[in-house]
Formats: sequence, structure tokens, C-alpha cells
Amino acid sequence: MNYTLQFGQVIDHLPYLAGGAWLSLLLATLAFFGGMVIGILGAMAKLFGGRILASLIDGYVVFFTNTPALVQIYFLYFGLPEFGIILPPFDAVLIGMTLNSGAYLTEIQRAGFLSIHRHEVEAAETIGLSQLQTVWYVIIPHIVRTLYPALSNQYILITLGTSMAAIFGVEELTGRALSLNAETFRSIEIFLITAGLYIAVTLAANALLIFTGRYYFRARMRLF
Amino acid sequence: MPSIAEQLPHFLTYYNVEFLLKAALTTLALSLSGCVFGFVLGFAIAILRETRMLMLLPFRVVSVVFVEVFRRIPFLVTLFLVFYACQVLSFDVSVFIVATISTCIIGAAFLSEVVRTGFDSIPIQEREAAEAMNFTLAQVLTLIVIPQAWRVILPPAFAFFLSFIKDSALASQLGVVELTYSAKVMNNKGFSPVLGFGAALILYFIISYPLARVGLHMEKRLGIPMHRRP
Repeated sequence: MNYTLQFGQVIDHLPYLAGGAWLSLLLATLAFFGGMVIGILGAMAKLFGGRILASLIDGYVVFFTNTPALVQIYFLYFGLPEFGIILPPFDAVLIGMTLNSGAYLTEIQRAGFLSIHRHEVEAAETIGLSQLQTVWYVIIPHIVRTLYPALSNQYILITLGTSMAAIFGVEELTGRALSLNAETFRSIEIFLITAGLYIAVTLAANALLIFTGRYYFRARMRLF
Repeated sequence: MPSIAEQLPHFLTYYNVEFLLKAALTTLALSLSGCVFGFVLGFAIAILRETRMLMLLPFRVVSVVFVEVFRRIPFLVTLFLVFYACQVLSFDVSVFIVATISTCIIGAAFLSEVVRTGFDSIPIQEREAAEAMNFTLAQVLTLIVIPQAWRVILPPAFAFFLSFIKDSALASQLGVVELTYSAKVMNNKGFSPVLGFGAALILYFIISYPLARVGLHMEKRLGIPMHRRP
């Protein structure tokens, strides 16, 4: 226990580290919205598609939610070249995380669709709304409001998950921390600061999400 | 593609299969110990947050900070933090212990929130009534809150156990010989990555899927009917 923390060298590289946070957020946002598209299509297919389509989607969801995202990306990154498809690290991570989050978001959104009660749709019909109006004024606001907290939670989880990209050499926050570590050997200091940056980024993202949720969707959420 | 089929008999030798299965057991041990210790610690934190004594205020503050901090750090960074912290404090522990400690830390952080949500699900009036009848906090918790709240706590806690199985794949980065690491070893031995990582994916699925079904069943059985409370 004769160790003195020396942050000096790390502070010099702080802008470099913080720049990695942007890449983390970019990766998370791309994976989240890609996953949302998969999720909406998957949830629709599961509820309204035929039995075959529904069981196909089921297989996809069950497989991707029961295996680690890391191994999925490993498989994409190292396994696909066997079939002649070579993906750069960023693309492999992005595709892997999108497929993974798509599986979770399918389940979340299916629950959202199921939360609509028949009565609401019937009431909308009774007051003479057209089908399009029912979707726009009744179903979507309801779904968005129920799903918003779960979705923003998932977004934060995906942001934390992007640290996995470091393993494949993507220069996001953790990746930059690892390369700084190899340069300066100020390991504990670097990872303390990295942890602080992650906390700052997710707190900021969370606060923004809660504010948007309260303001636009009247979703009730709390920061702590 | 033909090379994969050719490699398969060599891949499925006794020693390779034994190695993979042992690694799968390590994965299970890692996530199970993390979840059990994490649950105990998380329960303690949740109870600590219910206390109102002024004397315990510093502990409450520390526990809230602990929970909020470790819920916002990626598991990979937690692993490296614990790893290097052990180095700095010159604890001579194996990487498996480091990974277990990390799992316990995030387990405590996430599960304490689960337990707290369970406690919060009990209507406040019941607790106020108990307090009015001069129940102590221990009595309120053991006689009124926990008997009702465990049905709310158990399903998400089980879901977290499943997520720890998947998160423990990151421990391979420290060199813990668990399932993902063993797949990498297979890869380095010269087998096709499709075989190595494919086997790991299948084994993870075999571990996780039955447990997920159990969790789903539990959720259905324990689910509180919606109409019981206004």
C-alpha cells in the first residue's frame, strides 16, 4: 500500500478520453435506433404475422437474449471471414449490438402493443375516429407513454454495453482508456477517470431522456 | 465451409469437450456466486436505505453513491477497476476472485434497486399503520413488507442472474478461463472460429435458456393479479 495516485499524466490526455465518449454515444445511438427498427418490425410480425413468421422471430429473440453480446460479436468478427465476409471492427460491433438490442427491443415493444386495451380502440371507434386517427391519436400516444421508461432504460444499458467495442479495437471510451493505459501505465487513475466519464455521460443522457419524457410524453420517471 | 466439417471430429475430442464444459461450469460458478453475494449485499443496502436513524446517515449516503456509481459504469470498466485496485492495494488474488468481486459489486448495485422497488410496491399505508402500532423497522420489514414483497422481488432478481451469466463473458478479458475464454483458446489452437465461438454460443444457450423458462414460469406464478389493488 505504498501507492500514490498521480493523475497528472491522465489529465493531459483528458480531451482524448472524453472524445471517446462521443464515439460511445454514437455507437449506442446507432445500435439503439437500428434495434428499434428491428424491434417494431419484430413485434408487429410476432403479433400480426402468421405462425411461421412469429416462430421465426421467436427463435431470433430467444437465441439473441440467451447468449452474450460479446460472443455474438466475436462470432461475427472472427467467424464470418470463413464465409468470405470481412467486417471492419466498428461495423462488426455495430451489427452485433444492433441485432442484440433488436432482440430485447422486440420483447419490450411486444409488451407495449399488448398494453393497449380493446376498450380504448372501441371507444375511439364509437366517437367516430377513422382507423388512421385511432392509431395516431389513441394507440401511439399510449404505447409511447408506457414504453418510454423501459426504452430509455434500454438505451442507457446499450450505452454501457458499447464498452465491449474496446475489445475489438474500436477507439471509444474504454478503447481509448486501454490504449492510454498501454502508453502511460497509470492504470488505476485512467480507469477511475474513465468510470467518472461514463457516469457523467449516462447521467447527462438520463437527465435529458427524463426531461424529454416528462415534457413530451408525460412519462413518469425518476433519476434516482 | 468444407474445412469446418473436416475439423468437427477433431474438435469434438474428449479433452476439448471436457475443457469447454469445465469452462461452462466456471461461468456458472462466477455468475451464481456474484448473484448470491450480490443479493445478500443488495438486500442489506436496501434495508439500510429504509432506516431513518441519524447515526446511520453516512452509511446511507455511501450506499446510495455506491449503487448509483456502479449502475452507471460498464461491467468491463468495473472489472478493470477492481483488477487494478487489487494491484494498487497489493492484494494477491487470482483473476477468478477479481471477476467474482466485480460480479458481486454490480450484483449488489443492481439487486439493491430491485429489492427497493419490491419494498416500494407495498402500499405505504400498511407500513404507516404498522408504525402507528409501534412496530419496529425490523418488525415492519419481516412481518409486513418482505412476506408480500418477495413475489415482486424474485422474478427481476432471477432475470439479473441470467444477465450476469451473459455479462461474465467479459471476464475473459482478464484471463478468467470461462466459456468465452475457452472459445478463444480453441480458436488459437487452430480450429475455425465458427466452431469455437459457435460451441460457446450453443453452451451459453443451453445454460441460459432453461433458466429463462424457469424465470418466465416464476413470473407467471408469482405475478400479482392486477385487480387486487386499486
